[in-house]
Amino acid sequence: MKTLFKTIWQKICSIHLTVALCLMITADSAWGYFCLNRHADLFEPLNDIGLVEWIATFGRHNLSHTLWLMLLLVLLFLLGLNTFACTTDRVLGLVSARSRMGARRFFFRLAPHVMHYAVLIILSGYLGTYLFARVLDSRTLVPGGSMTLPGTAATITFDAFDPIYYEGDALPAFENRVLMPRARLTLTRGDDVSTAVLAYNRPVRFEGYGIFLKNFNPTMRSGGMSGRTRIDLSLRRDPGVRLYIPGMFLFTVGLVMYLVERVFYKKNKKETL
Amino acid sequence: MTSSQFFNIATGLYILGFAAGVFLPRRRLVAPAFLLSALAANAAALAIRYMPAWPMMPMYLGPVALPLVLCLLALFVSGRNGDRGGARCIALAFTALSAVIAALFPKDFYLPFLKSQSLFAHLFFLFGTLGRACFLMGAAWAIDGLTGKRSLEEAQRSPLSLIRSFHWNVWGFSFWTLSMFTGELWSYLGWGTPVVWDEPAITTTMAAWFFYICLMHLHLTGAWSARSRGVYAAAGALVVLGLTLPPDLGPFRWVVQL
Repeated sequence: MKTLFKTIWQKICSIHLTVALCLMITADSAWGYFCLNRHADLFEPLNDIGLVEWIATFGRHNLSHTLWLMLLLVLLFLLGLNTFACTTDRVLGLVSARSRMGARRFFFRLAPHVMHYAVLIILSGYLGTYLFARVLDSRTLVPGGSMTLPGTAATITFDAFDPIYYEGDALPAFENRVLMPRARLTLTRGDDVSTAVLAYNRPVRFEGYGIFLKNFNPTMRSGGMSGRTRIDLSLRRDPGVRLYIPGMFLFTVGLVMYLVERVFYKKNKKETL
Repeated sequence: MTSSQFFNIATGLYILGFAAGVFLPRRRLVAPAFLLSALAANAAALAIRYMPAWPMMPMYLGPVALPLVLCLLALFVSGRNGDRGGARCIALAFTALSAVIAALFPKDFYLPFLKSQSLFAHLFFLFGTLGRACFLMGAAWAIDGLTGKRSLEEAQRSPLSLIRSFHWNVWGFSFWTLSMFTGELWSYLGWGTPVVWDEPAITTTMAAWFFYICLMHLHLTGAWSARSRGVYAAAGALVVLGLTLPPDLGPFRWVVQL
């Protein structure tokens, strides 16, 4: 039993498996480009509905265009297993050999493994997002209007629309147009009342929800075709974001460790192939 | 003059600069003169599109910026790596080729969009361009290492070329990774998801990332022979030009019409 486990572990750790999986993911993603380019409408719902629901509907009924994504999920899962086994194996080896190497060398030797674990955290975060995110899409508010966040007693009230307009003259198409839409909100949770400004690329976090500005009106200073002020919100409760953003940060730390070692400590060392 | 006109002039000058480097190697000032003029015209083409759009980001600007960054790296950085002309010449060929592709398939008819007003959007573009340029430099060094003359000196030089190729690919991978991460942060802040599924470029970006992850593993573990890794690194040029550029390219437009 122990030998069998060891054999399986060694197979999963194989660098040849890593290479094969990376090449397959490259080819599969390239195939995905053509599918996504021609049938973007099939994939757009992934932004709002969960992966399981998407596979059961759009994915299953358009297999010739969506198979690449299912295959990608399988390949990423296998690469995740391979990465975990491979890097854990090497980290254990490094730790046991620590006494034979200096602290600096040990530290920089950890760089690739930091990146590997970071990739696993990022992939777990994505999986969390696409499996467990709760999305409430296109909730519209007019000035003075409010809504209660599902599952909470907290409310959001849209107080006023306070946009910044395009003031330049270099882009005639933007003349009198809104450059940065800004909505003033009041966030109420029991007796606790606070205010926030919601804008493009500036979501508001409240009661575990991310509140994103999806659309707005009016888009022009004069009011445009319809002067009625409104904002369309997208509300997301996404557990994955707590993993993939720290994962990206951790990967960047590992990358910087690796680059520092290459630039400052391997500079004058003769490299070999 | 318009951005397109400046870029077409830059493309012509890149081609002349490359040709002068190949056919007039003894006239040392001719090629740099063409290339410096090309850089100035390319920078003007870039500025004409970027400045009016600020603080938004002009869309599909990558193919216009790539020849500029690649030529700068080939002219001012490659020589410090011990380049004796081979890798630089190949990099300049890539510069001319990418400029021709961008000139013939421009995608300059879109207005910038409001959600591009983000520092992450600009960093996504900057790191992406640097990443592509470094990958092409890596491919240039790999081709130089594989095709160098087979004298004793050259045979000794080939592995050095492949080490240089890896060095460039490490930087390319670093910038490409930062580009992906800044793109994902922008996507999260703007749309609430790490991936915007109506943008096909995500797939080619990911394909290139995994292609170069594979190269990093091959080099660091020595899994393949040096020559095989060199061939793989050289194939990176196909991945960069054939996979990562198409999402930023538009329909064919003959330059004379402009």
